[in-house]
Amino acid sequence: MATLEELGEAYAEWRGRSNGNPRLTKMVRGWDRVIQFRTTDNGLGFSMRVENQQLSELDTGPIEECDVVVTGTSEDFCDMFWGDLNPSEKYMSGEITLQGSQEDVMRIDAISMVAFLDA
Amino acid sequence: MAMAVEERECEVVVVGAGFSGLAAARQLHRHGVDVLVLEARHRVGGRSFTDRTPAGFTIDRGGQWMGPTQDHLADLAAELGVATFPTYTSGQGVELRDGERHTYAGLIPTSDPHGAADGIAAMLDLDLAALEIPLDAPWETPDAASLDAQTLATWLDTHLESPSARDVLEVAVKAIFGTGSGELSLLFALFYLGAGGGLTNLARTTGGAQEGRFDGGSQQLAQGMAAELAERVVLGAPVQAVAYGPEHVTVTARLVTAGADPADPEAPHEPLRVRARRAILALAPALCSRIAYTPPLPGNRDQLSQRMPMGAVVKVHAIYDAPFWRDDGLNGQIVAPRSVMESTFDNSPEDGSHGAIAGFIAGDDCRRMEEAGPGARHAAILDELEAAFGAKARTPLELVEQQWCAEPFTRGGPVAVSAPGALTALGPALRRPVGPLHWAGTETATKWCGYLDGALSAGRRAADEVHAALKGTDVGHP
Repeated sequence: MATLEELGEAYAEWRGRSNGNPRLTKMVRGWDRVIQFRTTDNGLGFSMRVENQQLSELDTGPIEECDVVVTGTSEDFCDMFWGDLNPSEKYMSGEITLQGSQEDVMRIDAISMVAFLDA
Repeated sequence: MAMAVEERECEVVVVGAGFSGLAAARQLHRHGVDVLVLEARHRVGGRSFTDRTPAGFTIDRGGQWMGPTQDHLADLAAELGVATFPTYTSGQGVELRDGERHTYAGLIPTSDPHGAADGIAAMLDLDLAALEIPLDAPWETPDAASLDAQTLATWLDTHLESPSARDVLEVAVKAIFGTGSGELSLLFALFYLGAGGGLTNLARTTGGAQEGRFDGGSQQLAQGMAAELAERVVLGAPVQAVAYGPEHVTVTARLVTAGADPADPEAPHEPLRVRARRAILALAPALCSRIAYTPPLPGNRDQLSQRMPMGAVVKVHAIYDAPFWRDDGLNGQIVAPRSVMESTFDNSPEDGSHGAIAGFIAGDDCRRMEEAGPGARHAAILDELEAAFGAKARTPLELVEQQWCAEPFTRGGPVAVSAPGALTALGPALRRPVGPLHWAGTETATKWCGYLDGALSAGRRAADEVHAALKGTDVGHP
């Protein structure tokens, strides 16, 4: 299990990598969204924004509205943010699930795979 | 010698007892409409064909999968009590590229990660573009003419930087359409992807189009529908001619003796003539145009059929005494760009009592390997299986091929595709009735076009059209 601090540290690394990746910034062009993460093992919740082609810092405050909900274990999220886990494998096994509109789910699915592959 | 003509009458005659024709007929029958289904083969199911191999293993020679949102298919399976089970996906896939072997997890091969990222980004672009297509009228897409004037290959060549990603996407395209991307109108490809929830969705096993299988095979669903229709399904009756007026149709078939080959013009048969008020032609466009119509079909309808050729595919089964690749942590999936059989899946029965790999030889590979002949084809298949799964894979108990292009009553597969220019110029003719003639078949579906689920929804849509037409004209009924 990972703590919120550990998740925050891993996310900061993922964010730095993603915001510097031209392929990823192109993939989120015109797509401003709020994405919420929920952990199944220790009940944590946090969110991030995509705004002007950049990922925001992690927000651990109360979540009012979001476009996509990503559910999985804190450990998997940590590994994904560090770039050690292929998220596509976890979607296919159902260990990470995505809820949102068809377009938003398609985007998150592709963006997280590209973030892993381009790491 | 004069032959006695068997004359039949009904309200609606359905041509083709595939999933679409049977779904149409069953729906009309349930509404109390007197239907008759004429099927050329001595079996129902069309492109779904569950068969026993010479050694006694049950295989699906044609369409076989069910995925999320294929609700027509799921409901039918539930109604008929046909159980489903998940396609085996545990473990890694094998990528064979340039003589090298790599394993990978997830959706696409990752031996070239930046190439894979390029491929994923392009798939997203395609899927987002597909969301913009009005599925009931793709020709009304803004920019339809420009999209329909280019091929999918042009788009892929422009949007992909990585040669490895280009190769992998071509494998996916061939597996999905049975043609290379160069044969497909971009507009049609986007429509087709949109109808199935996107390329990513169509390429997936778990969570996608290849997620589930039918215990005992998919053809049971056709048999279940046919059982309800009982003697209203006539087998071995290839339709030769359709004569029609504003409110009536006469369909002429050859009623071929059981055991004789319906495709053989010399086969012993009796003429069968069916008079009806309406007809549903539940066939791929290319097959519809092999029937003689009096009067001839409108020009645009026939032009459309000329521009919607069938894909080309051989479905291969390699059968083993056990799914031994699972012990090596492999899921049975191969992605092998520029090979003969570019994609495979684990097609073993749920209990793993024997092993089966199903593979697809598609598009130009299919045509090239027909020319090369069975010896060269089998050698290439076995080389590839050995390269992917080791020496054991070289000696299957059986190697069974289903060459759909050689089937006289299908002539290709898995689906009819649309060449550039056809949809924008002629698309509206695809479903538009011609007098009392209505069109079904998975090619006319607006959701899951090309799939078993699309065949069912298309059949039901045609049945609704006919039912409404009959009610509208039949003033004598209460």
